[in-house]
Amino acid sequence: MTILRRLLALFRPYRRWVIGGIALGGVVILANVALLALSGWFIAGMALAGLGVQSISYFAPAALIRGLAILRTGARYGERLVTHEATLRVLAELRVWFYERLEPLGPAALDTWRGGDLLSRIRADIDSLDNFYLRILAPVINALLCSLVIVAGLAFYDGRVAVLDLVALLLAGAIIPLLALRLAAAAGHGLADTRAALDAAATDTTRGLGELFVLGAFERQRARVLELGERLVAAQRRQMWVGAIGRALSGLVGNLAMWGALVLTIPLVAAGDMPGPQLAMLALWVLASFEAVAPLPVAFAAFGETIAAARRLFEIADARPAVTAPLPAQVKTPERFDIALEGVSMRYQLIGDWALENVSLRVAEGEAVGLVGPSGAGKSTLLALIQRFREFQSGEISIGGVDLREIDDATLRQTISVIAQRTHLFNASIRDNLLLAKPDASDDELLEALRLAGLGDELDDFPEGLDTLVGEVGTRLSGGQARRVAIARAFLRDARILLLDEPTEGLDADSEARVLEALGKLMQGKTTLLVSHRPRALAFVGRVVRVGA
Amino acid sequence: MALPGAPTHGGSARRHEQWLKSRARAVRGTLSLTAFSGLLGGLLLIVQCWLVARVIDAVIIDGAGLEQVWRWLWPLLGVFGLRAIVGMVSDRLAFEAASRIKRTLRERVMASIAARGPRWMERQRSGEIANALGTAVEGVHDYVAAYLPQKQLAALIPLAILVVLFPHDWVSGLILLITAPILPLFMIIVGRGAEALSQKQWRRLALLGAHVFDAIEGLTTLKQFGASKREAEAVARLSEDYRSATMTVLRVAFLSSLVLEFFATLGVAMVAVYIGFRLYYGQLDFLPGLFALLLAPEFYRPLRDMGANYHARMAAIGAVGALMPVLESSDREADPATDTADGQTAGRPSGQPLPSTPVERIRFDRVSFRHDLRDGGNAGVHEVELSLARGECVALAGPSGAGKTTLGKLLLGFLDPAAGRIWVDEAPLDTLDGAAWHARLGWMPQRATLFAGSVRDNLTLGAPDATPADIDTALTAADALDIVQKLPDGLDTWLGDGGSGLSGGQIQRLALARSLVAKPEVLVLDEPTAALDAETATRVLDGLQTIRAQVATLLITHDIACARRADRVLFVDRGRIVEQGSPAELAAAGGDFARFVALASGEIA
Repeated sequence: MTILRRLLALFRPYRRWVIGGIALGGVVILANVALLALSGWFIAGMALAGLGVQSISYFAPAALIRGLAILRTGARYGERLVTHEATLRVLAELRVWFYERLEPLGPAALDTWRGGDLLSRIRADIDSLDNFYLRILAPVINALLCSLVIVAGLAFYDGRVAVLDLVALLLAGAIIPLLALRLAAAAGHGLADTRAALDAAATDTTRGLGELFVLGAFERQRARVLELGERLVAAQRRQMWVGAIGRALSGLVGNLAMWGALVLTIPLVAAGDMPGPQLAMLALWVLASFEAVAPLPVAFAAFGETIAAARRLFEIADARPAVTAPLPAQVKTPERFDIALEGVSMRYQLIGDWALENVSLRVAEGEAVGLVGPSGAGKSTLLALIQRFREFQSGEISIGGVDLREIDDATLRQTISVIAQRTHLFNASIRDNLLLAKPDASDDELLEALRLAGLGDELDDFPEGLDTLVGEVGTRLSGGQARRVAIARAFLRDARILLLDEPTEGLDADSEARVLEALGKLMQGKTTLLVSHRPRALAFVGRVVRVGA
Repeated sequence: MALPGAPTHGGSARRHEQWLKSRARAVRGTLSLTAFSGLLGGLLLIVQCWLVARVIDAVIIDGAGLEQVWRWLWPLLGVFGLRAIVGMVSDRLAFEAASRIKRTLRERVMASIAARGPRWMERQRSGEIANALGTAVEGVHDYVAAYLPQKQLAALIPLAILVVLFPHDWVSGLILLITAPILPLFMIIVGRGAEALSQKQWRRLALLGAHVFDAIEGLTTLKQFGASKREAEAVARLSEDYRSATMTVLRVAFLSSLVLEFFATLGVAMVAVYIGFRLYYGQLDFLPGLFALLLAPEFYRPLRDMGANYHARMAAIGAVGALMPVLESSDREADPATDTADGQTAGRPSGQPLPSTPVERIRFDRVSFRHDLRDGGNAGVHEVELSLARGECVALAGPSGAGKTTLGKLLLGFLDPAAGRIWVDEAPLDTLDGAAWHARLGWMPQRATLFAGSVRDNLTLGAPDATPADIDTALTAADALDIVQKLPDGLDTWLGDGGSGLSGGQIQRLALARSLVAKPEVLVLDEPTAALDAETATRVLDGLQTIRAQVATLLITHDIACARRADRVLFVDRGRIVEQGSPAELAAAGGDFARFVALASGEIA
């Protein structure tokens, strides 16, 4: 419940849009019930008047019928616009809220996600919260409010019919769908597991295809994948039956309610206690009332998933940062730019293996040092510690003699430039990607940085120059070009310490040469730590140290 | 949030839907039955409306009491029940149709993978194919189970209503008839308006919508530039841009539902008002009038329900986008000789069998290969000469990306040389039967895959008839005996997918053992010690000595200690063999290998 309350709190700033959308949705439902009920009453009354049994003033109801039709249509359009407006406003709020909470957690939070492809799960979770209002909140509130109005209106004519309709609405709208949901979860038992097993088998098949062929075991894997497919269908079939029976029962309840209303009111009409037209009106009223609860099964089904999504996001939002910022009184600014590590030990969990154990390293100002060692030896961890992305358990790290823990974040970022194998280029223009390093840089400065990074000539080949989009949506830059855009950023930044994490790994010899040429210029006069296995890259450093075993 | 009518640009959506429809033809029979039972449900609904109208007419006009109308009320209950049953049958039929299509698609994807083999996977992103097999196949379910049947009902049920209604009340029938074709027409016109938004605009929307995810993914980079706090404003601004841009689109897109709603609702209102006045002037009896009024909303309902299944269509179109490339390329290129109907799974067209004697010598004769540069950074290999004899261990050493793994894959037959030839004794590799060649091979890739199943299943994957002694020997040689002994159920321990629960080093050692169980004649080991600590690596290399005499071993490594154990070292750089000789010779020569050795020996101060 607290999760639901926290979720609703995010909607508070936009409550006018939220309420407006719900109100319009209510108008849509009620206008339709009124339209059908009034139509039934109207034609019965007109028929009796035509037979001379009674008289009728037909102008008002005829106009009202047409008015209700137009009202419903207009309200429907307005409702869709307003609910989507509300959804999009909340979406913006939600994204900023989540980002602002994630930001202090820093890369440490991302590292833990990458393992299980959690980034895509976060994406799905945010998407499912985006739909909370449209799929759950608005339909549920509308079902409640409209049902009450519909039943209250019925009670005005006949209390028994009102009670009957209320019970039927509860059955068709809440009890049967909720029961079906529980049963479907039981019937689909193992469905999620089978689905996951199938997806994993698919991944294994493609990832391990070479091994399957060399081992002559592809046929067995094929049989396994197809068998999992069959098991999935079997679980889905059980679930399909529950859903089909639920829908059939809900429909049946609606029809029975109308039937019951007829049986209850016909004796009244026959006895002359109720005017005839009201019989047609009540029958259509009851029949139309079920539109109010029609979206509930979908809303209930989405509810559990949405709450789970919200819980996961709140958990991340509530997490504590991996490192704590220094108190303002403690803050010191380094004057020199040498790096010293003294007996540094670090591990990722409270217990377990050390990622770095008792490591000492001194890099003089302006010196370039290469770090080599087997993968997993802690080279990247060491760079993360110097960037203050991770806390370490013992030892000391200092820059220019100042304890790293006493340097404030902004100063540290100004001091250190990083070029990594996996430097992220954003789905934006080259210009935007460069401005990240220096927001107030002029175009001339940007072009100069690109030229220094060896991208000057290639820029002419890009379709829209600095405005060319990079990343998924735009022109794909080659690996070497992307790396050099990152180097251009570092040129703009002009920080005194340079951390290079496998800057040329994965590049062909030609690209490597061009990247190294640019790096050579960048490294001049800077304190540099270079992690690499490439002999040609390591030729740029004065000294190589080995990390780990 | 899904945008209605989103990425349907470029006619690809239509092409994807055509493709899916042609696949759905395979279940035509079941789909026709689904439509028939749906139509039956529609007819029952008409009967229900007539019975209700009959009851109300009798009571209001003829002054009948409850006793006189039971004869219609009881059958009404029967109609309710029948409708419920028919509805369930429809759901079942639609489900079976969708399931059969999914089964066929899955079989086809697997057949496609089988026909093309690992060589194909080299050029594809394996993730996309895995996605096709899992998620994309499921993505077509609702299209077949919900959208297609609903589409047929949207034509059949209104038609049935018109046929029944006309003889009773032709004026109401005419009102419905006139509004009916207007609905789809208007929806198409308005839909065009939404689709007319250019590709660029859609791309902009997609970009704005996904910005926050880009920022999250690039948080490390943002942090490094001290820009992560500043980025929060960008997230806010772009989310706001996304809102206003989306709303501009939606204002137009929702017009189609406005039109639908307008005609459907006004149609009902007009029917009611016209009936009312004709009743008043005695031009119509109450029974057909009420019958028409009850039918009017039902006339529009199937059309309205179409909108609810719109997502199913969009999802299916997206799924087909993932499936089509995987299946179509096999339709076009699959060689009849590798047709998988007979269960043959060779990676290459079946060729000559190998002689029954063990492979004695492998020779690379000026072999060149060039990667597609767009796929990755590696340029390939150039005119490589290499020989490898039974009982010999040859190490390919050199920096990562130098072409070592490419040479291994050429030997495995996963890649074909662009120039030159690989000889297996007296036969060129490209003339040999793929499966027969693989049967002689043992291969451990850089990142081995363990499959879901028991440890024993995994170890005997290449040799289902292996004896416990065979398994033991292989485990010993791979220094993996202690791993199995420490597992809770030993060889019967169930491994999760991808070997979850085991460390990278344990997975590598088990995979090494797996490649040895089948007693290969040629062994390709790609970085066998990369995930191991120095001690374990030494033990593994010692273990491999025990089988060395019977096998030709190609050892790919950038680990110096590992390369030193080989009989000969070939130092590879930028796709060429730049140095070769015994490890001692090379270390003394003072070339690249010697520099590599020197680099490896520096210790952290």
